[in-house]
Amino acid sequence: MSVGKKDISCPPEAPGTPLKDSDIKEKKVTYVEDHPDMRYAWTAGQAISRFLNELKEGKLIATKCNKCRRILFPPRIFCELCYKPIDDWVYVQDTGTVQTFSISYIDPDARPLKEPIIVAVIAVDGASKNMAFMHVLGEVEPEDVYIGMRVKAVWKPEEEREGSVTDIKYWKPMEK
Amino acid sequence: MKVERISGLKFHKKQDVAIVGAGMTTFKRRLNETGKELSYLAIKQALEEADMDLSDIEMVVMGSAPDTFDGLHMKGEYLLDGSGGSDRPYMRVFVGGGTGVFAPIAGYWHVASGLADICLVVCEEKMSSSYPHPQSAFKYIWDPILDRPLNPNLIWIFALEMNRYMHVHNIKHEDIALVSVKNKANALDHPCAQLAEKITVEDVLNSEPMALPVRRLDVSPPSDGAAALIMVAPHIARQVTDNPVWVTGVGWALDTTMWTNRDLYFPRYVAEAAKMAYRMAHVTDPRKEIDVAEPYDPFDYKELHHMEGLGLAKKGEAPILTKEGVTARDGDLPCSPSGGLLGVGNPIAATMGVKACELYWQLAYRAGKRQVAKEVTTGVCQAWGDLMQVGTVMVMSNKR
Amino acid sequence: MFNEKIVNPNELRHWEGRIELYWIYTSGEAGDRFFKALKDEEKFIAAKCKKCGKVYFPPRMYCEFDFSETEYVEVSGEGSVRAFTVARLDKDEKPLEKPEIYAIIDMDGTDGCMVHLLGEVEPEDVYIGMKVKPVLKERGEREGKITDILYFKPS
Repeated sequence: MSVGKKDISCPPEAPGTPLKDSDIKEKKVTYVEDHPDMRYAWTAGQAISRFLNELKEGKLIATKCNKCRRILFPPRIFCELCYKPIDDWVYVQDTGTVQTFSISYIDPDARPLKEPIIVAVIAVDGASKNMAFMHVLGEVEPEDVYIGMRVKAVWKPEEEREGSVTDIKYWKPMEK
Repeated sequence: MKVERISGLKFHKKQDVAIVGAGMTTFKRRLNETGKELSYLAIKQALEEADMDLSDIEMVVMGSAPDTFDGLHMKGEYLLDGSGGSDRPYMRVFVGGGTGVFAPIAGYWHVASGLADICLVVCEEKMSSSYPHPQSAFKYIWDPILDRPLNPNLIWIFALEMNRYMHVHNIKHEDIALVSVKNKANALDHPCAQLAEKITVEDVLNSEPMALPVRRLDVSPPSDGAAALIMVAPHIARQVTDNPVWVTGVGWALDTTMWTNRDLYFPRYVAEAAKMAYRMAHVTDPRKEIDVAEPYDPFDYKELHHMEGLGLAKKGEAPILTKEGVTARDGDLPCSPSGGLLGVGNPIAATMGVKACELYWQLAYRAGKRQVAKEVTTGVCQAWGDLMQVGTVMVMSNKR
Repeated sequence: MFNEKIVNPNELRHWEGRIELYWIYTSGEAGDRFFKALKDEEKFIAAKCKKCGKVYFPPRMYCEFDFSETEYVEVSGEGSVRAFTVARLDKDEKPLEKPEIYAIIDMDGTDGCMVHLLGEVEPEDVYIGMKVKPVLKERGEREGKITDILYFKPS
């Protein structure tokens, strides 16, 4: 019993039996493997449905709250600060500024990629300050990307667009 | 548009709350025991330290992060019999990664409200059950329509935040890597550590690139583990020990999921939670009044980010404090003396063991070789979670 | 005021996806002992609490009521039917070729029960209190899972 005692070392021991990956592969311990089949259909809701339809047309749309005068992007049907419905839809431009970026060498399952992906948070022109969203950059070398770079969206051709954020292939620097 | 969220809060409570016992299991990448057995092992240690029996416990709070890792729906209910929940009021709390400090906060509510005099808090995590890799479960935190078509990995959001932080304050990666070096070395004195080793700044900068600027040695690993704490009312604390550790302040705050609409260089959710906890604890100058801190460090730059959010350093000052040795175990403001998540391991909710339990052991002078050099009275521990959303803070003191 | 709601269902979008994870659940310390004894030695193991004497089946490392340690004891594996049900549809609500009988079986010598299939008996002949004993898979086919027991048959 160590309660009330000082100058002892806690935790007194580290219980638990570590296993290696090979212990599972070689079946040194018993286990059960389960492969579920879970499929989902998520509704886009009012605001994002309109957003996706506009993407198919090759346009970006945002919503406006008249009370705090913010232009919200990605669009939503209520302003979360004023907690009231928004007042209007406005179109925004397909150019923007890079707020931050990263060069990723891993895929979603943590496996290495041969070609790195450059992902960036892009603040879109026409929306309020900090109204940014995440997308990938292209036609640029990783070393040349910097925060504050001006970029423009490169769209897929009309027949290939399906109403998804991937209708924009990537964003490329505006200088070139 | 700044919103002063805590101005109207009242802090009425029926009784003070003390911590008298803590326990944890080892943290490793893969453990054989089931979640129930891990919870049992951690609780057994905590009960032994407080010299109590399971029958003394009146209520139980369990903290555990996503069901997806274990692959068990309603994980809290599943873990009940291993967590001492049979025959007594039991609840599960979950705020993503913030659960490590949120579960003790929930335990605090149980005792401070007067509903219980002895409350057991247990956190458990078994990330190794999920295949192909625990990272794969994080794919589903992203918005299905706006983010998932781009095939993101959770590390991206950290890399984007780290880059913004480095850019706004003009910090170099070498200064951030010092945190990883410090924490992994601190963890050499922790019996439960998973990745304790002596490394150098060059090792960090040359390690495998994951999503630049984040590299492999900047990241904490997925782990299995469990931890437990026992929180009691003052009259029980007096019977058990002469020197309990008191919980003087708690705070929690969440920010919006529209993370791209925020400037990521400052964690305002941590600042809000800290304001609430400091107000309760009557701490007006955290940099001077806090003697030891356990900020959440899933990535090395996160410790610096959170130090600034907690008010322990001015914006942009945290890397300078680290470089000057102020945050080392023998410095003026030791941070993560346990080795933190970078050194000991990151089993999401069970990180309570290296945050809240470690702070308790430091203030009770029971941390052995990890005990910080200076005299300690007040400390703060903090956790973070989700898409850069939740901050949970707890302030403890060994003087009432 | 915002009242421009989309009401045309063709304009409302949805997004489809799958959750692509799989899980490997280890049996744990007590579970591992139970399944290894079943697979290699055809023995059934239960756990007895050192303090209150309650015998847990399937075995556990700890007693859930007083949190003291348990010791492992061997039991026969035979039991009696406590309750049963006859399933005629599978989990996707398609009719089964042969009805399956699931039962909760009180294991002799323990305070615990087990859920499993009953075999070598017609649904009309099953009754509560019927004595049953286990039938295991062939030694080479056993995997260390609960399916190593094929079914329980009347003894």
